[in-house]
Amino acid sequence: MIRGTVIGQVWATRKARGLDGQTLLLVAARDAEGQPTGRLVVASDTLDARVGEDVTVAFGSGARNVLRPGPDNRDLLCDAAIAAIVEGAG
Amino acid sequence: MILGRVIGHVWAARRDARLQRAKLLVVRPHAIYEPAFATRHLVATDDVDAGVGDDVIVCLGAPARASLGDNNMPVDAAVLGVVDRIEWRPDAMQAPGAGPGIKRPLGGIEAVLK
Repeated sequence: MIRGTVIGQVWATRKARGLDGQTLLLVAARDAEGQPTGRLVVASDTLDARVGEDVTVAFGSGARNVLRPGPDNRDLLCDAAIAAIVEGAG
Repeated sequence: MILGRVIGHVWAARRDARLQRAKLLVVRPHAIYEPAFATRHLVATDDVDAGVGDDVIVCLGAPARASLGDNNMPVDAAVLGVVDRIEWRPDAMQAPGAGPGIKRPLGGIEAVLK
């Protein structure tokens, strides 16, 4: 997982059916020191994260497990998902 | 998923049998989490009829294969959506509770999202 900050949202009308119902947020990644890396990821959100909030983003099968716990979730069209909303980090 | 812009097509007559019907696009990622490729482009299958110049949502890895209905496809990137609208706040990373203040403004994200 990585840590990042929600900076916005993306909308698409023409999309694969598997994306229906997914809220797609733009997350700017931070590095180990908490500085922005200039890299963006589009992550599915189930936790109602808001713009400005720090989050952790899970990738791969971990991301699918956020949407629906496995093992039978390989049909989900999701490779990044917000796994937690960060309140503090030391 | 990542954001990118469609910059071209790929034609290939000789291709894997399972890819016979797949449309292949060249996508330039706007900014990517972890580039496994230093070439600033990727080739993605397209099921949503995206055109050159469209901003698209590209899914990487296993879900890209799942989107084609077959987990054994020789594919690792698929265009899953054509972006209508991006709403974002450049100051989001400086908002209260957004962690340590930033030294460089968003690391260049503004340039790719304008």
